[in-house]
Amino acid sequence: MAGILVYSENSKNAHELLTAATIIGSALGLEVRALSINNDTQAEDLAERCGEVYRIKEDSLKLSDTSAMASILDQVVRKLNISVVLLSSNRRGKELAGRVAQILDSGCLTDVYGIEVRDDGNIDCFRNGLGGLTVVSQVIDTEKKVIAIVPKIFEAMGNKITGVIRDVEVDVRSSGVNVVRTKTKVRDAVDIETSDIIVAVGQGLANKDDLPQVEKLAQLLEGEVACTKPVATDRQWLSEERIIGLSGKKCKPNLAILLGISGQVQFTVGIRDAKTIIAVNTDENANVKHISDYMLVADIKDIIPELIEKIS
Amino acid sequence: MNIIVAIKQVPDLDYIRIRDRRPIMEDVPQVIGDIDKSALAAAVDLKESAGGNVIIVSAGDENLEDTIKEGLAAGADEAVLVKDARLAGMESSVIGTVLAATISKIENGGLIIFGEGSADNYSGQVVSRVAQILGYPQVGYVNWIEIEERVAQATRSLENEEETVEIPLPAVMSVVSEIKEPKIPSVSSILKARNKPKRVYTLDDLGIEIPENRYVRTVINLAPVSQRKGILIKSVDELVKVFESEGIIRR
Amino acid sequence: MEFNLTKEQQMIQSAARDYAEKAIAPLIEDIVEKNEVPLEIIEGLKELDLFALPISDEYGGAGAGYASYVLAEEQLSRICPGVAVIVSVNNVGAAAMSIFGTEEQKKKYLPMVTKGDGVFSFAFTEPGTGSDPKQITATADRDGDFYVLNGTKRFITNSSYEGPMIVFAKDTETGHINGYIIDKFCEGYSISEPWKKMGVRGAPLYDVYLRDVKIPQDNILGEPGQGFWILKVAMALGKIGICSIFLGAMLAAYEEGLAYATAKTHRGAPIAKFQAIQMAIADMFMKYEAARWMAYRIGYLADNARDKGDILKDSAAAKIFITETAIDVARIALNIHGSYGLMEDYKISRVWKDVIFGPQVEGVSHLLKVLVAGEIFRDLKG
Ligand SMILES: Cc1cc2nc3c(=O)[nH]c(=O)nc-3n(C[C@H](O)[C@H](O)[C@H](O)COP(=O)(O)OP(=O)(O)OC[C@H]3O[C@@H](n4cnc5c(N)ncnc54)[C@H](O)[C@@H]3O)c2cc1C
Ligand SMILES: Cc1cc2nc3c(=O)[nH]c(=O)nc-3n(C[C@H](O)[C@H](O)[C@H](O)COP(=O)(O)OP(=O)(O)OC[C@H]3O[C@@H](n4cnc5c(N)ncnc54)[C@H](O)[C@@H]3O)c2cc1C
Repeated sequence: MAGILVYSENSKNAHELLTAATIIGSALGLEVRALSINNDTQAEDLAERCGEVYRIKEDSLKLSDTSAMASILDQVVRKLNISVVLLSSNRRGKELAGRVAQILDSGCLTDVYGIEVRDDGNIDCFRNGLGGLTVVSQVIDTEKKVIAIVPKIFEAMGNKITGVIRDVEVDVRSSGVNVVRTKTKVRDAVDIETSDIIVAVGQGLANKDDLPQVEKLAQLLEGEVACTKPVATDRQWLSEERIIGLSGKKCKPNLAILLGISGQVQFTVGIRDAKTIIAVNTDENANVKHISDYMLVADIKDIIPELIEKIS
Repeated sequence: MNIIVAIKQVPDLDYIRIRDRRPIMEDVPQVIGDIDKSALAAAVDLKESAGGNVIIVSAGDENLEDTIKEGLAAGADEAVLVKDARLAGMESSVIGTVLAATISKIENGGLIIFGEGSADNYSGQVVSRVAQILGYPQVGYVNWIEIEERVAQATRSLENEEETVEIPLPAVMSVVSEIKEPKIPSVSSILKARNKPKRVYTLDDLGIEIPENRYVRTVINLAPVSQRKGILIKSVDELVKVFESEGIIRR
Repeated sequence: MEFNLTKEQQMIQSAARDYAEKAIAPLIEDIVEKNEVPLEIIEGLKELDLFALPISDEYGGAGAGYASYVLAEEQLSRICPGVAVIVSVNNVGAAAMSIFGTEEQKKKYLPMVTKGDGVFSFAFTEPGTGSDPKQITATADRDGDFYVLNGTKRFITNSSYEGPMIVFAKDTETGHINGYIIDKFCEGYSISEPWKKMGVRGAPLYDVYLRDVKIPQDNILGEPGQGFWILKVAMALGKIGICSIFLGAMLAAYEEGLAYATAKTHRGAPIAKFQAIQMAIADMFMKYEAARWMAYRIGYLADNARDKGDILKDSAAAKIFITETAIDVARIALNIHGSYGLMEDYKISRVWKDVIFGPQVEGVSHLLKVLVAGEIFRDLKG
């Protein structure tokens, strides 16, 4: 029986992929299989969630070597008669997806945030089109399919079963990429995706010294601080974990307050599912007005302290 | 050693209007996406240490030569283009094949740089496809590059860590926009762009046939329905009232 | 007939727009308050070749022609007319020198104002006259191989920056009005306090005092006796700058009016749904479009005229139409704003003060109309 293969170096993502795989697998009659590379704990965790786990132990195989990794996936796909490969749409996953798809001569979709299996057996994949202006639904028409799914879209599969772990032999073909050093990014444990209330700041915040005020406001409202991409990547005032948008997180809070954010489409895709959106911007013509329920045309420098005062 | 930058011509998203949820693509100007501009700026920075030229490769429709002037104005030395009406909106698998074939026509190409994702589709798979077709090693989401003789060092910016790797050249990389902020081109570089060397191929020249069946089919492409109230409020007091009515705070 | 911008023109337009939005817009309040443009903006414009677009690249300009110049100036002025005025006056001086100057003069002065540390000034207005150069009273006395200049020039843009200035003065020997080139801040050169000006802040105006300013006789621009013609041609080219500046201000007014109409609500719906407002929007659009193509065409004509003096009639007509239309559009945008337009919190109040003086500068409208009519009659007589 043909199978559907799940792989991510990130265990949590892999568990989420299992949920997606089960949905697709049961609709199409595909056996779900998980792959774990050089990570015994992960293999065991996966075995509590998936009947068949395939394990590779090869010291010479490095995650950082995308070429070698893709070749491994190709080998596993052929060995196990896989027709759908599910990867995580994190950065490693996206990089891997295209290369695996190319070896398999198949179609590939990344950044997929929704899946529907149709009666005709097609898997409708939902993703952003035109930088987020549109939502597209796409179908891969090749025999084998590679799909990379955005983290945290599906619930992680719970540990309910005892599956088997099988070792697979593969042929490692290093492309000569070697890690020289790694540096952990300053971790920010925040989880803006599940937050009920979000206070997001953009480049309209002129001064880093005003950031504590924003944090205070978020605290008062029992929400989390989030931001636009340039605030995190260019100015580095907040961690990248807090970016909302196309290359950040997709959030669906009850309330989002957008402070000094212009509302360009790459940002709005990440917040348009919020129930209520309030924007504060000096520019009454800012695009953000089109996505807001309430808009206050004002300087956030004045508004934030006043708001804090009035609600504390 | 030459540095090759793959650049995609994309519709200027600011000019796309939505009518009945459908994007109207007529009369939308074609431009180079922001991340590709950063990729190019990074390449121009590396030019000296690589000791070669910065060469743009791009595949697209008739507008391509005009659009690519933006890249030549931004500091690229030459362009190798594949121009074919059939390439407009073409899927990643075909573009990967076309770009790989084009890159093979360039001598002494040591480093091939892509933007992490295109401004319109943002799928990020063309870079990996090209690397695979050429059989080159790759490193994605790079925010720092240094070239030394036949190897490069590059830092891959992942969600939780920065991973600096050594990678033999020739190699393929994708970069994040943080790698380099693109500069506004000067008027004289804009005017000089048209005189920079350019090679233009067709799909026939490259011996590439577009497969009859698509790998990926788009079923729906519609703007999401948005039903926002769009109420203009005038004071913090009104804002507080909104909080109250939304049940965020209680008095 | 071709109404599309070339890719190069689009790129130049975007470059100017990007620079205006990224570098100038954040400083606008400061510029308006201090009535001063920081030097780094001028340096930034020079680096991008936006400071001397039409001037030949042989002398450090961009050699991009007047059509591109119009596009760039419009974008600069959309954000800050003061910056656009500084650029415009620089180009009047530089263009006059490009056309009438000797090779030595061009080599000495043009690189300074295209790439170097200088900014050109062009001084004809005096306390006693602006519209009528025949009334000029500043004097040039021949003293051996030198001229000695004396007089007061009024409302002179860029006179606080280093660089060359073309001064129009009367040769006391021949009675001719000539253009003389001086280095600002040379001995005998001084300026007044800046005039307290209500609009176009950022480009301050000073009175310039010349007291026995001694210059070599080679520093005359063009042939002796050619002064009026130089002034005419320079003013014809200068009007291209004025057209673009007021076009940019008009665009700003249009954008402000449109934004307000869609943002301001009345009983829960934007005021844009009222027909009266819709007519106002359509009026602004029509007027801006008409002005735009007139301005763009003047740029085109200047690039294609064999003799720049040939554009006199057309540039005067465009200048009258565009500066007056800018007031119309700003007025409509003000009306859309209701009482808010009076408030300095709203950009339209500033735009209004910027556009209001257009018909008075570089030739007041009715005098220009007389000039236009004169040219029409001359053509009739053939
Ligand atoms: C492929 C791609 C992916 C991207 N992904 C993302 C993404 O995931 N997330 C993201 O955010 N961006 C993303 N971007 C970038 C995006 O296009 C925008 O550049 C970014 O969202 C703009 O951030 P901003 O609104 O903070 O800044 P700006 O656009 O600079 O807006 C600042 C706003 O603040 C207002 N303002 C200024 N001063 C004040 C004040 N004192 N009080 C009140 N308001 C004020 C201004 O009027 C303006 O509207 C991406 C871009 C590309 C090309
Ligand atoms: C922002 C700005 C920048 C400037 N920059 C410069 C500069 O760099 N260099 C420079 O030399 N000048 C500059 N000027 C001055 C400007 O060019 C003159 O003010 C303008 O030419 C009008 O001259 P005037 O003010 O002396 O008016 P006048 O010539 O005195 O005119 C006053 C009024 O009398 C009318 N009038 C005058 N003569 C006649 C006539 N013969 N028939 C009928 N009506 C007549 C006019 O129509 C007008 O209504 C600048 C002005 C401004 C506002």
